[in-house]
Amino acid sequence: MYGWHLKLLRVNLTTQKVTREDVDPKIARDYLGGRGWAIHYLYKEMDPMTDPLTPENVMIFATGPLTATPAPTGNRYMVVTKSPLTGALAHSNSGGEFPTWMKRTGFDMFIFEGRSSEPVYLFVNENQIEFRSAAHVWGKDTHETTDILLAETSAEARVACIGPAGEKLALIAGIINDKHRAAARSGVGAVMGSKNLKAVVVMGNKNPPLYNPEEMKNISVDTSKNVGADVKKGSNMRIYGTSYVPQVTNTLGIFPTRNFQQGTFEHTDKIDGVALKEQYLIRHTACYRCPLACGRLTEVPDGDYKGKGEGPEYETISAFGGACGVSNLAALIKANYMCNELGMDTIGAGMTIAAAMEMYEKGYIPEEAIGMPLKFGDHDAMIEMVRKMAYREGFGDELAMGSYRLAEKYGHPEIAVTTRKQEFPGYDPRGAQGMGLLYATSNKGASHMEGDVAYEEVFGTPIKEDPFSIEGKPELVNHFQNSFALIDSAGLCVFVALRYVFSKDRMIFPLRLSEMMAYTTGEGYTAEEVLKAGERVYNLERMFVLKAGSTVDTLPPRMLNEPLPDGPAKGMVSQLDKMLPEYYKIRGWDEKGYPTKEKLEELGLPS
Amino acid sequence: MMVHIKLLANYREHLPPGAKNGGVELDVPDGTTVREVISRFPIPLDDTSVIVLNGLTVDLDTPLTAGDIVSAFSAIAGG
Repeated sequence: MYGWHLKLLRVNLTTQKVTREDVDPKIARDYLGGRGWAIHYLYKEMDPMTDPLTPENVMIFATGPLTATPAPTGNRYMVVTKSPLTGALAHSNSGGEFPTWMKRTGFDMFIFEGRSSEPVYLFVNENQIEFRSAAHVWGKDTHETTDILLAETSAEARVACIGPAGEKLALIAGIINDKHRAAARSGVGAVMGSKNLKAVVVMGNKNPPLYNPEEMKNISVDTSKNVGADVKKGSNMRIYGTSYVPQVTNTLGIFPTRNFQQGTFEHTDKIDGVALKEQYLIRHTACYRCPLACGRLTEVPDGDYKGKGEGPEYETISAFGGACGVSNLAALIKANYMCNELGMDTIGAGMTIAAAMEMYEKGYIPEEAIGMPLKFGDHDAMIEMVRKMAYREGFGDELAMGSYRLAEKYGHPEIAVTTRKQEFPGYDPRGAQGMGLLYATSNKGASHMEGDVAYEEVFGTPIKEDPFSIEGKPELVNHFQNSFALIDSAGLCVFVALRYVFSKDRMIFPLRLSEMMAYTTGEGYTAEEVLKAGERVYNLERMFVLKAGSTVDTLPPRMLNEPLPDGPAKGMVSQLDKMLPEYYKIRGWDEKGYPTKEKLEELGLPS
Repeated sequence: MMVHIKLLANYREHLPPGAKNGGVELDVPDGTTVREVISRFPIPLDDTSVIVLNGLTVDLDTPLTAGDIVSAFSAIAGG
């Protein structure tokens, strides 16, 4: 077999036993890998009504067929499980180096079941597979944990682990790999914490052979050359990484400001990538086999917010900057470092603090409950809240549950800007209509990573769409959702995939990606087939989400009823009700959003 | 009439000396279009370029009115 090992490692944490299982080649082909394989197993093996923080929840780490191949950015893995934040599906994605190292163990996928009675970590070095005590690293942050575990295993290994936030079951906890990369969203870190699994340490030299190494090399080199040509021209993604984006979204009036009460932030110049580069950038960094190198090593050399690490990315600047009304760049860099070290999703953490700030200013949460004033723009208080959140100390215990539960507890659920109880990323959907439809229908709750039509509405990649228009958006969202399911299943990074391995039409088409898949696996994939597989994955996830009881596709009232008060999108609300019926129809779902029997049969899915 | 040009991120380097906060005021004749005003700057426009008028997606042959803000940036991806 080529491309895949067709091997999974089943890890029972309760019994501390592992089993090696073969993957059915037909399943491998039809579900591609990564996110696709993971939902196939999760749907088959687990009741979607399972309580996410019990031992019965299954957590899957999955690589794709392009992971650990020469494909540029062929180095992603997915964490798929039932989300304790949303009660729906979690599928969080990360790069760095861990994904390639994981695949080199000789397994494409790890399935974690049960719960260890004591903190443990799993060490996988090909066929040397050991449960080891994690008592000495329990309570330690992700950086210390990584250093200690590498010292006691091998410098050649790579680590994915949780921090204190995951141990304490914060619903916004993520899993951090290689210190600075995160499978961040939907509370996957809390699931790992609930299993008493502190870390997964991987190494090995097993790579599945490629079906056509020569053609794979040629197409990979050619793709890298195209990336390189953009980099040579001075690509913003190389110079600034995603931190160039605040200026873009602010210009379009969709930069979340003060918990989405506004769409423009008057201090954007102080917190954007230009300021970051001038003041704190040390050098660029790259995930394994990435010619784009959008990462940035940064340092705040002195002062209250002294620290060193990577980032912040756009989403982090949006959540801790605009959404919290904070213009102190050093503070939001510090918040980013803390989230990576303590193991939290920066979007969930920042947006939850933003919601708390609004509720404090409106008198919905008394100062006694928080223990200090919590106004928009108060960067000292924000930093203190990040720490308290991770350790669930005082008011932090309430923040750790995410903004929806916080706002509901204080009697004002309308303040929470979430779908399926997950915080919005940094695009206000009132001024980017396709994004609103995406958030409302997303299997994992509000997320840009499930079909980021901002690529067309905001960035003009591959072509520019009017973000205010709803025309054609249901079709666009459907197509992007299927395409992202494909990318996540293949094992590529969307940053490179969308521009370089899809076509440049409005309806992006994965021609080059399907060629890479065919050269890797020998399965003779066509572009139509891999796109159909993306649709299959998306629909199976949808079935899981519906069976988990998350059946309502909507947006929070602020998006539907409160017009944006400022900027280019002034006066706009989301027109979700005009897009949703057409979207369901295009999807082949009924008027309530359930996949029809015919659609499931067409995709070869169980009903 | 006076209009404001804002060049974001890597396009900033194409602003004339003395530009502040990534932008510059220009006095242009009536009837000047978005495309014409942007062409005054040595920006290497290509398929990554996005140009908006007052934050809005418009036809680049739209004529400007006094006080308009034209912004331009280059994007290949975003997060």
